[in-house]
Amino acid sequence: MNAWKAELRLLFRARLSAGALLLLLVLTALSVAAGLAATARQQAVIARVEAAQGRDLASVTREYGKPDGDAGSAAYYTFHLTTDPPSPLAFAALGQRDVQPYVLRVRLLGLQSQLYESETLNPELALAGPFDFAFVLTYLVPLVLIALMHDLVSGEREAGRLRLLVSLPVSGRGVWGRRGVLRYLLVLGALLVPFVTGAAIARAPVVATFAIALAAALYVAFWWGLALWVAARGWSSAANGAALMACWIVLTLLAPALANAVISRAIPVARGVDLTLAQRERVHRAWDIPKEETFRPFFVKHPEWRDTPPVLGRFHWKWYYAMHEVGDEGVSAEVADYRQSMTDREVWTARLGWLLPAAAVQTLLHRAADSDLRAHLAYQRSIEAFHTRLRDFYYPYLFQERPFQKADFERLPRYQPRPSSASLPISPMIGLLVLAALVSGAAIRGVRALSSSAAREATGASPWGVRP
Amino acid sequence: MNFPGTKVPRVAAEEWRALVRNRVAMIASLTLAALLVTSALLGVEQRNATQAARARYQATADETFDAQPDRHPHRMVHYGQFVFRPLSTLAFIDPGVDGFTGNTVFLEGHRQNSANFSEARQSSLLLRFGQLTPAFVLQTLAPLLIIFLAFGAVAREREQGTLRLLVAQGLRPSEFAAGKLLAHVGVVAAIAAPALLVLVAAALAGLAPPVPSLLMASGYLVYLSIWAATALLVSLLVRRARDSLLVLVAAWMGVVILAPRILPELAVARLPTPTRIETDVAIHHELKQIGDSHNPDDPYFSEFKAKTLARYGVEKVEQLPVQWAGLVGMEGERLTSGLFDRHAREAFAREAEQNRLVRRFGVISPLIAMRQLSMSLAATDTESHQDFLEQVERHRYAFVQALNLLQVTKIPNQNAGADPRISADHWKTLPGFTYRPPDVLLLAGGRIRDNLLVLMGWLAVLLVGCGLAARRLEATR
Repeated sequence: MNAWKAELRLLFRARLSAGALLLLLVLTALSVAAGLAATARQQAVIARVEAAQGRDLASVTREYGKPDGDAGSAAYYTFHLTTDPPSPLAFAALGQRDVQPYVLRVRLLGLQSQLYESETLNPELALAGPFDFAFVLTYLVPLVLIALMHDLVSGEREAGRLRLLVSLPVSGRGVWGRRGVLRYLLVLGALLVPFVTGAAIARAPVVATFAIALAAALYVAFWWGLALWVAARGWSSAANGAALMACWIVLTLLAPALANAVISRAIPVARGVDLTLAQRERVHRAWDIPKEETFRPFFVKHPEWRDTPPVLGRFHWKWYYAMHEVGDEGVSAEVADYRQSMTDREVWTARLGWLLPAAAVQTLLHRAADSDLRAHLAYQRSIEAFHTRLRDFYYPYLFQERPFQKADFERLPRYQPRPSSASLPISPMIGLLVLAALVSGAAIRGVRALSSSAAREATGASPWGVRP
Repeated sequence: MNFPGTKVPRVAAEEWRALVRNRVAMIASLTLAALLVTSALLGVEQRNATQAARARYQATADETFDAQPDRHPHRMVHYGQFVFRPLSTLAFIDPGVDGFTGNTVFLEGHRQNSANFSEARQSSLLLRFGQLTPAFVLQTLAPLLIIFLAFGAVAREREQGTLRLLVAQGLRPSEFAAGKLLAHVGVVAAIAAPALLVLVAAALAGLAPPVPSLLMASGYLVYLSIWAATALLVSLLVRRARDSLLVLVAAWMGVVILAPRILPELAVARLPTPTRIETDVAIHHELKQIGDSHNPDDPYFSEFKAKTLARYGVEKVEQLPVQWAGLVGMEGERLTSGLFDRHAREAFAREAEQNRLVRRFGVISPLIAMRQLSMSLAATDTESHQDFLEQVERHRYAFVQALNLLQVTKIPNQNAGADPRISADHWKTLPGFTYRPPDVLLLAGGRIRDNLLVLMGWLAVLLVGCGLAARRLEATR
């Protein structure tokens, strides 16, 4: 135990090491606080919007909740609020929640023209991405590890202590193990103590918190292994530092940017525009064609209204809403395509995790925090389900021509926030595990080789075992 | 005594020789140059493809609009128009906020829609790692390479004792420092050359606006020189090369990676913005207070009716020579649009205030100043997007009112029948949207000047710092 204490003291005596660790602790704590503040802000926005919506609904109720009220007008003027509150773990990985809307109002009209409405967004602030735990983990932790590890061996050599260290009979090998493990644990501690505190404050589910902590431990292990492997190569401190920085640039900045360029080119998603254009054509064409043509596909889906009186005049609300539903229905293939291409982008990003630990850890964190593109698609699907409920609610009034009164406003369906779609994806976790194991394995072999070769060197033997 | 002038280039030449001999430095520089060329070519290709796609969409959307059958004009108000934002030429260097703003707006009556389908909303998280553009390489990666090449310029020679030797041979430390500076400014020029050559070539070929292109090229040269001067200054001040590298990498981290992420958090926390829904509800509420066209007893519209009747010299709306419902529609659109404009102006002002808060830190982080300068010159900054939205809103108003006017004049006021329609020929006479690309020097002149001044101020301060540090070197000779 004394040896560990001594190593710890040594580590903290170096200004750079102590400073890097302290900085990491402070930045992680800050990022967790910023994440918690951001999710609290989103909750507050939801509460504010709910209040505004409540006022709006009250005024609509006053206006259209008459004894002879008309369901068609009520449905036309009543907006229904849907919200997507942040998951408890969203503080750690805010993901796309800064660019995707998490409040949206819909009404009984065609959903496809309402679903893609974007929220007021200051694009310049979104440009760099959020400052959250995921950012600190992905970008900053490798740098701290590089600072702590790059001169682990070369520093000793440059100070002239290396031969002495490896020739110590008892602790020759143990010293690298201790130093390595100590650095790994300290970095992980600086990272996980604030994160777990944040998770406790946010009352995050234990399993998902543990999964994120595990992902963090594996990601740190990858960089730790890489840094140790380079340190054991026997180059100078400067060369180690440069090589590791180059790895950092490639693995966290360059390769992901390149991959994004490739993926967005390989899987284009202009279909979003296509589908809204198509839907508009379908809805508006309905004004120019006989009403039976609109009702035909509608009655196939809704046989229960087949026997209601036909629409004779120019306009009837039930025809109007039927035409909107048929318009949505007509582009369902395009909608599926559009969602599929977005899902494909996600899937390819996750696959990239087999090569890029940064992509793997981002995928994992955001999936567990339910704040990625998939989460937004789940929100869209839940709005769709709600919209179906709205139809089921309004159609009896419209087709049976029942009056829509004040009491009916109180019976309006309310959107319940979707259950979390968070999951713990196995494949990026295995990807991280494999990468971390490979690199750490190589590092440990490198350190062993270093100890034995340096030991031989110290006892006068050449690395080949025979004196040339 | 030699001519002092001849020693400076000599020192620079020696530094270049050392850099060329350093294999790692050469490989890193060549990699960066290759990246710049690749990203510029990718950028040109991407920009052209995006631009072509948007132009194609615009053409189809306009064609389908013109091809609509005979209809009541108000039906066309709801059929609406789609508008796609054309991409500026210089977006190939810096696409700016384009990936984060939607680029298509649906225009219809009674409503001001948002710009939808931004790339950021349809991409995986990879987009947030940064886009591989010349701007990303020049703003983020190039400084790191410069640091890496220059951190030891003075410190290494001091560590190895060659500095003492050179000074003993009669080289003045200020000449030494000037030579090193010359060497690394030369390196900066070489690093930036591929991208800047593409930029200048585009300007000369008339593909890109010349003055913004030149200003952009100079901006990047100044920005990168700031990093060279910083590296030299730290190298002059710090005893060991190792410490110099550490200080510089830490500065890069703070300025390039951390500041741009932390500052927006601050801005959002300090200056919250209302959501679209709240704005919509507020507009709806205010509208109710001004006047309700559906309410026959509404005071505003009763007055409007009285005025209109007086203007045409008739007693009842049925006697009007024009369609009364159309007139009410026009007046209603005028009222709502006034409210939309006010709320949009307020939203822009709030955004501007948030951005001002961040941009003020351009004084601390030259990256922020450079990013801003680059986006402004490329016409891909927030203000250019707002300019597009304003043009779109003006067009929306003109287009909706033109249709309302058709309703007023072409639909009979009395006995129009159950399904009054006007000829489809009218649709072609309606104005299509023509985007007038902003002259960035007019639109963003002040910001461009301020950011250039900030960058030059940084460079000046650093150069003075280098001079002082070199003099200190002289004192300790």
